[in-house]
Amino acid sequence: MAIIENEPLALPSGDVPGVENPLGVFKRPREYSGLKNWLTTVDHKKIGIMYGAAAMFFLLIGGAAALLIRIQLATPNSSFLSADAYNQIFTMHGTVMVFLVVMPIGAAFANYLLPLQVGARDVAFPRINAFSFWVFLFGGLLLNTSWFLGGGANGGWFNYAPNNGVVFSPSTGIDFWNVGLLIAGMGSLAGSVNLITTVLNLRAPGMTLMRMPIFVWMTLVTQFLLLFAVPVLTVAQILLIMDRNFGASFFAVDLGADPLLWQHLFWIFGHPEVYLMILPAFGIVSEVIPTFSRKPIFGYPFMVFSGIAIGFMGWGVWAHHMFVSGLGPLSVAAFSFATMFIAVPTGVKVLNWLATMWGAKITLNTAMLFAIGLVTQFTVGGLSGVSHAIAPWDTQQTDTYYIVAHFHYVLFGGALFGFMSGMYFWWPKAFGYKLDEGHGKFNFWAMVIGFNLTFGPQHILGLQGMPRRMHTYDDAMGFNLWNLVSTFGAFILAVGTLWVLVNALISYKGWSKAGRPDVGPDPWDARTIEWSIQSPAPEHNFDYTPTITSLDDFWHRKYAEVEDGKLRRVATGEEIAQPGNGEGVHLPAPSYWPLVLSLAMPVLGYAIIFTLWLAIPGMLLLFAGLYGWALEPADDLDIDDHHGPSHDELAGANA
Amino acid sequence: MTDLATPVDGGSAADDHNQHQDSHDDHAPTSLGLSNSKLAMWLFLGSECLLFGALISTYLLSKARFIAELTAGNPNVIEGLMPAEEVEALGDGVRGSFETLPEIFNEMAMEGSVEPIFDIPFTSFSSFVLLMSSLCMVLAHKATEERDYKNQRVWLATTALLGSVFIGGQIYEFTAFYREGLTFGGSLFGSAFFTLTGFHGVHVTGGILMLVSLLVLSFRGKLKSDRSETVELVGLYWHFVDIIWVLIFTIVYLIP
Amino acid sequence: MTDTTIDTEVAHDDQADHGDHPTEKQYWVIFAVLAVLTAVEVAWSYLGLSGPALVLPLIAMMVVKFILVAGIFMHLKFDLSIRNGGVFSYVFAFGLVLAILVYAVLLVTVVWPIG
Repeated sequence: MAIIENEPLALPSGDVPGVENPLGVFKRPREYSGLKNWLTTVDHKKIGIMYGAAAMFFLLIGGAAALLIRIQLATPNSSFLSADAYNQIFTMHGTVMVFLVVMPIGAAFANYLLPLQVGARDVAFPRINAFSFWVFLFGGLLLNTSWFLGGGANGGWFNYAPNNGVVFSPSTGIDFWNVGLLIAGMGSLAGSVNLITTVLNLRAPGMTLMRMPIFVWMTLVTQFLLLFAVPVLTVAQILLIMDRNFGASFFAVDLGADPLLWQHLFWIFGHPEVYLMILPAFGIVSEVIPTFSRKPIFGYPFMVFSGIAIGFMGWGVWAHHMFVSGLGPLSVAAFSFATMFIAVPTGVKVLNWLATMWGAKITLNTAMLFAIGLVTQFTVGGLSGVSHAIAPWDTQQTDTYYIVAHFHYVLFGGALFGFMSGMYFWWPKAFGYKLDEGHGKFNFWAMVIGFNLTFGPQHILGLQGMPRRMHTYDDAMGFNLWNLVSTFGAFILAVGTLWVLVNALISYKGWSKAGRPDVGPDPWDARTIEWSIQSPAPEHNFDYTPTITSLDDFWHRKYAEVEDGKLRRVATGEEIAQPGNGEGVHLPAPSYWPLVLSLAMPVLGYAIIFTLWLAIPGMLLLFAGLYGWALEPADDLDIDDHHGPSHDELAGANA
Repeated sequence: MTDLATPVDGGSAADDHNQHQDSHDDHAPTSLGLSNSKLAMWLFLGSECLLFGALISTYLLSKARFIAELTAGNPNVIEGLMPAEEVEALGDGVRGSFETLPEIFNEMAMEGSVEPIFDIPFTSFSSFVLLMSSLCMVLAHKATEERDYKNQRVWLATTALLGSVFIGGQIYEFTAFYREGLTFGGSLFGSAFFTLTGFHGVHVTGGILMLVSLLVLSFRGKLKSDRSETVELVGLYWHFVDIIWVLIFTIVYLIP
Repeated sequence: MTDTTIDTEVAHDDQADHGDHPTEKQYWVIFAVLAVLTAVEVAWSYLGLSGPALVLPLIAMMVVKFILVAGIFMHLKFDLSIRNGGVFSYVFAFGLVLAILVYAVLLVTVVWPIG
């Protein structure tokens, strides 16, 4: 049968198309400098840096909230903050820290490092990657506009029903919480699909799954957790939006609704959530410690499988957040039992890190100090966590500062310290200069001292019975001393945490003044292949896709084992590193549609919160974004260069 | 490769670009030898299982609670089911009772189940329509691969049409329930039922939009066999939405 | 449209996969099976049964329909047999099984607050 050829569509620029675009209508942008470069970029490295910068911005907001909390609690019966203001501040502190700081920093490292560590040119879907970032940013910004538009969310970061309904929380704060996180959640979901596909499908030849760096493995498990946990929170939030904004009755207790429905749905998301906050930091530390111990990670398969085990088991323990909610002894016992088990794989990791350091020639630089900080402080948090697992003990501990101490030890003392370690470690790779070690040590010690002064005493306060989520406490309770100490520590901690930004500035200035010397591809004499390219990482990543022959392939090309089992250097990093010549390499073209599509989301969000008329421009933007994206050429056809890695290079990899 | 229209200048450089283009699509070699886009779609569908699972679980819990409270005669539940004016007209101190309820809820209370409101033959027909649309979808994909573009359009259009018939049926069903007295906000059951089926309906509608878009592309000659994976991906989404209906039909409508 | 082979088996296509594509006729056959199953399900619900006698066969039929659509229309059956195959099935099954387990535990926990 006849197939009629259609005329190629004329491009808006008026050019006669050299070829027919299978789908293309709009040309891809070609801004290569300045703001437009960042707005249209699909380069995973730039996106990773943007995630990091945004997270730092939100860290300032969350941190300011934390200091306000500590000022309020420094003295008994303080009237620094009203009860309602306090509710908003501790809710936003938690929400911002969890969703807009810890998760995005994990995303920052994952985005920057994953393609580099598996030997790929970029992630599987570069435009979706850009979309993930923008939609996270807009969701986070929308959430924080609540401060100016009627008050922040005030139901706690966990936002329990029926308190979260219009009857008990009439202000729009909770609507902002709902909508802002829904929007940001889209970014997480899209990102998880992207990164999983990248890890499974875009590895360099010879990089089997069991030759991947631990950081890649931990990130892979994290992405699977995100993939399956975010939809559960999405449903909970949709039910709440239906109730609050569209008159539904999911959580109407007077109609017979189960008040625990929200709690169950939230914690089915919430528990995998906390594992996905810590696993990237575990991955980071599993790269840093071997590097500065000059030994491979002890028990690589155990590290991998314990990470996978944590991913699996994290799904079966959610109701340990609900031990006192009236579940009944059978359920409580079952979840208590399961929770005790989950300490095991984490313990395996701690032992492996220690074993890696055992007998090693350790370099105690800042990155290593922060990594060791994670190992010790997370262990403290883990121990208190194990005590919570024992349900009768939890009955006393829950809703007290003992729990607050626990999760700050694992999330701040654990995850954030791990991220600090990663920043010091990979900063030269990303920016071309090291962060100053002297300032780094100050950074570290100020944080350690400040952190432990802040949260250490909270264990005591908790066991003494100080309840959490209360805006003040009475003078006669005996909480005065440790609260004061904690506040004192908080300010030290704030200075310490901010010092990393100070360090970045000072180090940059010093580097600039010294004429921007090249820090080289491999300043740490490290083990994984991202150190085999120049610093800062060239836009095209690898000149040619490396072929991997073993775990820690880069290390083994630098050091060979001699007869008595010792290692002898056979090459330096500089000698083996790829020169950074990107000629002829084809990169994914930039695009502004991810930004356009992302802009539709806050418009639709405000539509739900304030007036549905906004849905009209929102939907228009949505469809414009979707169709613009779908109809732009899959690539920029006018750049005349050759293909990147050849078929043979990629085709040799096995699962 | 041969299905791309001949370039205007006919030069070989253009061909290189085309091949270039292709190799950045799903034909580029990958570690597992699988298509990136298909892997992504399956990952997404895996996550959708969690989404619909939560909605279905919420439905089951809400329905059970609703029936329990209704049969126990909880006055709040009863008044939730009455139109607002009637509740107001009750006067002070007077609570609603079964006599003041629309008939359908009395039937539910007596049977201890929500079955009375469902029109099973009608919904069965809807299910049949959706199943048929999956068949048409699969045939559309097959036609694409076999370069039978006329039938590609026929089957794509039929799939979209059947999908629309399904949605039409849903809208009819929802308005019928409303007329019988089942509102979105008046009861746990109403909220849960309309949210679950509504969400499914929104997914179907999204699928219809994608199908229509494919149809338009096809008419413009841009949906040749080299793009058969695009059709396949839309198909995967469509079949998944059909599968969810298979679950909803049995769990919501058939099992009391 | 053009059949490469005529398959005379009605309901099952274990033998039928020559390579990785069912013929058009096989698709129609699967559809017929799905339609018949739906009809049987509906009829079953009218039989006046209750409890497990009603529910278990319905669920069984639902599962069969699920498997037919996922396996044949969505091609998972053939995905299992190719090199590096099964990934799609594993990834989807992971989500599916996780959902079933997690929500089953949820329902049990909510419905049975013993004590």
